Amino acid sequence: MTILTDLKNILGEEKVFNDDENIEKYSSDQSFVQPRKPDLIAFAENVKDVQEVVKYANKTNTPVVPFSSGLNFHGGTIPKEGGIVLDLSRMKSIQVDDNNWHCVIEPGVTVSQLQDELEKHNLRAMLSFGVHPDRSALTSYAERDPAVAAASFEYGNELIMDTELVLPGGDLYRTGLWSAGGIPGSPMGPVRAMIYRMWTGAQGTLGIFTKMNIKVEYLPKKRKVFLLQFDSFPEAMEPLRMIQRKEIGHECFLINNFNAASLLCKKWKVPEQFPAEKAEAGEFDALREKLPPWLLVLCSNGGPRMPEGKIKYEEEALQEIFSMAHLRTCDDGPIEDMFLKEMLRPWGILKKFCYSGSVHDISFKTTLKRVPEFQKIVMEVINEHNYPLRDIGMYILPIERGRAVHCEIDFHCNPRSKDEVEQVKNLWHVVSERFIDEGAFFDRPYGIWADMVFARAGTYTQKLKELKRELDPNNILNPGHLCF
Amino acid sequence: MSTKKQKVIQKKLPREVYSALKNVAGEQWIYEQRSVVETYSKLSIEGGSFVKKHEKDPHVLPACVVLPASTNEVQAIVKICNRYHVPFVPFTNGQVFCNPTTQDPTLIIHFSRMNKIIRIDTQNMCATLEPYVDYGMLQAEAMKRGLWNGGTPLATTLCKLASQFAFAGLWQTDLKYGLFSRNIVSVKMVLPDGEILTTGSRCIPKAGDFFEYGPGPDLMGLQRAGVGTNGIVTEITVKLHSWVGDESIPDISAGRPSLVDVHDPKYDNPDKPLKNHKLFWCEFDDFETQIKAMREIAHSGIAIGLNATGVYSAFYCSQTQAMTIKRCEEKFFPEWNCYVILANVTSDKQIEYEEGVLRQIIDEVGGRFLSESYKPEVLEALKPWNYDCIRHSTGYRMNRKFYANAWLPVGPIDSAVTTQREWKKALDTFGELDITDRGGAEDTPFIYALQRGHFCLFETDNYPDPTLPDEIKKAQGFGIYGAAAVVKNSLGPMLMAFLNVEPFTTMFPEAGPDSHLFMRKIRKVFDPNSVAAPGRQVFTEQEWQQFPEAVKNIVNKMREMNDMPAVE
Ligand SMILES: Cc1cc2nc3c(=O)[nH]c(=O)nc-3n(C[C@H](O)[C@H](O)[C@H](O)COP(=O)(O)OP(=O)(O)OC[C@H]3O[C@@H](n4cnc5c(N)ncnc54)[C@H](O)[C@@H]3O)c2cc1C
Repeated sequence: MTILTDLKNILGEEKVFNDDENIEKYSSDQSFVQPRKPDLIAFAENVKDVQEVVKYANKTNTPVVPFSSGLNFHGGTIPKEGGIVLDLSRMKSIQVDDNNWHCVIEPGVTVSQLQDELEKHNLRAMLSFGVHPDRSALTSYAERDPAVAAASFEYGNELIMDTELVLPGGDLYRTGLWSAGGIPGSPMGPVRAMIYRMWTGAQGTLGIFTKMNIKVEYLPKKRKVFLLQFDSFPEAMEPLRMIQRKEIGHECFLINNFNAASLLCKKWKVPEQFPAEKAEAGEFDALREKLPPWLLVLCSNGGPRMPEGKIKYEEEALQEIFSMAHLRTCDDGPIEDMFLKEMLRPWGILKKFCYSGSVHDISFKTTLKRVPEFQKIVMEVINEHNYPLRDIGMYILPIERGRAVHCEIDFHCNPRSKDEVEQVKNLWHVVSERFIDEGAFFDRPYGIWADMVFARAGTYTQKLKELKRELDPNNILNPGHLCF
Repeated sequence: MSTKKQKVIQKKLPREVYSALKNVAGEQWIYEQRSVVETYSKLSIEGGSFVKKHEKDPHVLPACVVLPASTNEVQAIVKICNRYHVPFVPFTNGQVFCNPTTQDPTLIIHFSRMNKIIRIDTQNMCATLEPYVDYGMLQAEAMKRGLWNGGTPLATTLCKLASQFAFAGLWQTDLKYGLFSRNIVSVKMVLPDGEILTTGSRCIPKAGDFFEYGPGPDLMGLQRAGVGTNGIVTEITVKLHSWVGDESIPDISAGRPSLVDVHDPKYDNPDKPLKNHKLFWCEFDDFETQIKAMREIAHSGIAIGLNATGVYSAFYCSQTQAMTIKRCEEKFFPEWNCYVILANVTSDKQIEYEEGVLRQIIDEVGGRFLSESYKPEVLEALKPWNYDCIRHSTGYRMNRKFYANAWLPVGPIDSAVTTQREWKKALDTFGELDITDRGGAEDTPFIYALQRGHFCLFETDNYPDPTLPDEIKKAQGFGIYGAAAVVKNSLGPMLMAFLNVEPFTTMFPEAGPDSHLFMRKIRKVFDPNSVAAPGRQVFTEQEWQQFPEAVKNIVNKMREMNDMPAVE
């Protein structure tokens, strides 16, 4: 097989594989995306390797699928048209800039490694709720996973500063201050101030990120979690709006009792493989019964100086809202402690996979006011499909003080039961379609969502296609994804 | 040096193009009269356009000006330009980068009739604006509703938000709110080929206009900073934030006139900042301490604004140009300083807490607060900033000469030192045009701490006499030298677009690297017929080959002075 020999010549023997076990491993994930086998797997250890592979792929018209950790849960790394899976997980460098609170990471750096390293510098990364500890931190930022602290404006939407990438033709390109040819240190660069955003939400179809400089934040010395309980989501809307208008707290989100119970369930562990093994649910069931239907979680961070002072004035402002709106707090030490931990290492929620083995989420953006409309659609569809309401997980995250909200609605099924898989797949499909029809915004339209979304986006889609043709004339980068 | 003056003959559009345009906009909104088009040829802060006027360069004169009233009309106009291959230039206030880019008869599309706030969405905190809405108009409406857009450039009523999508967008409250780039929800653009692009959630039917990214790869980010070459913004939705200050900006008696004979300080010295806001001025012994303090303040999480201003205080707070000069000579304002803007957004006790933190930091680094007991006369003189650090009360008034060149590099705060060193070197090499040019060499450059200090922007400028073309040319020389100096020193030039316009895009291949090659591809996608200010942002290979050798040589000379190889 020539590709194999060619790539072994280019990269070295120990970096290229096509054994059955590896091919199988890279051909599927736990999503509903149709599995497909790659021709081979190549490991890049540095930027030059990436450039060489991309150049070779252009010469031979071979698809290249960038792969960092494969833990995206949405089929992003499934090689839809075969070809080379380019595994970047060996690129593991982390460089922390203590003085300016940035950190340059490569694609192989996992979120737990990143957080561990930053902690040594009294810093922290802003991570998203439900990110796997072994997930590539770089791809999580590239995929615009919203941070748990998205409610605060500073960490709402823009965590990327400078980037280094390999373009579809194999050329190296940098954005931000880095593109001036020297050091990283600002998202603004010499050419088109926000150009890097074109490569976000792109599933590696327009270029391969090889390094990323991200904003990091101080590790708070003092924090306090506040919990509010609600019987239904609409009851939480006005208090949430009031809290956000006052800009109280750093992290803020709402979860339903299914997700809260998963987080609190001591017997369950965060799985390492997906789909996961179904686990015993006794403890979980008891917790789900006991917990209020909705919890609003708010974390106040003391600043690096006089931390108590900041928490104090935020708490006073919060108390005012509590008494004005007659809110019920949920004063429970262990739950508060658990949430404090989750703010920094927010992967406990992945224990939810233990319920049935696989989870299929629908995540989209909308406005706070419209969330109940989408809840109603879910109710209608689950009734038609006989799916139990109590088995739905929900997570609602305000972004930038509530201008937008990120919603994640989970459906669970046992991957070993064909019937269950079929039922949930249908349900998931119908809900997705109804949501998109009603204006749920899928800013990351992956898998089956791509066709539904891009068909509606008119000139936006047309220009993306033209850009792809111009930048990647041989269509080698992750073909078959998005609208490409 | 004077070139031979020639009589400038105005070029005209072909008659069929003129009548097609007239049919779209209506006869009263299209102008070819010399007296009118002349006013579109001199750009208020672009040195190059002044020089060209002085030298009677015929190419600065547009052929025709059209004033559309809607997106549909803009689209129809752009389609006509494509059909007949007529270059056009989007024009808002014409401060910069609005001259024709080629020798062909060029159409100016002026947006002054598109001046409405389309909607303010108080629930989801954003506002949708037509291109001629300025910061003053937006704030007047938003503040009544307890909201604001997060900042103001140093010219509230001159600066429009839509044109700042194409260029600029720097505020004094960027510490908390980030640059304008961080505050855009979506744009609706007529692309150079006449197609209409909407970005973010707005591009999906029924989704609403509230989220800035996608779908998928983000085109809004790609379109930002196109200096009029990648489409015309006909609607822009910007973010709003909680506003805790006065519902309207209080009047200062008689406003802040820039008339020469009304220069009594009483006209523009508000006693204290707006409700729920407080401004602190700190002084330091040296630059190093200033930078240390600014880093600590930025990292402490307090304040909505943190900046340092040297010579700008003299421009800003002096009632006459003579007073500016005198204050510069006497070094009246603190050379090493910063000002900090605090606000009670969350609670009435927030300022009290933040003041405690600020005092602790200033104490630790060994700085001093200006106060009633320490330099009260300086504090008194700085009063114009009381309102203007947040929102300029009457637009713009600075007592200085012509703002003909600015260095605006970005980078980590330590880069302030590099900026100062390189500016000093440039002054030593070329000589100053005015005493005010020394701002940033002998005192602090203007420093804006951005996004909680994750990066900063530094500003130093030249102020030639606008009536003397040789002085303006010298300022331009500083600009070209600066582009080379900042690249050489790993600083990122941005806002004033030194490398975002030609010939810099092509002549600094270090950027990217080879950004010009990448940008050519983008240009091809968005402007297949080369009609939108062609060649302003990036040349085609052919345009580059035709670019005058003389200018290439000047840029190469500046590169050489910074030990960079010539670009052929
Ligand atoms: C004294 C003074 C102080 C200033 N201070 C600041 C400051 O602190 N911070 C700051 O950010 N700015 C500041 N500026 C303003 C800044 O330079 C201008 O806002 C900016 O240049 C845009 O000017 P304009 O609105 O006149 O646009 P124009 O000069 O008309 O246009 C600028 C560019 O954008 C293009 N363009 C115009 N309208 C559109 C449109 N609708 N769609 C697409 N492209 C378009 C044009 O073709 C041109 O290339 C200041 C300006 C002055 C005079």
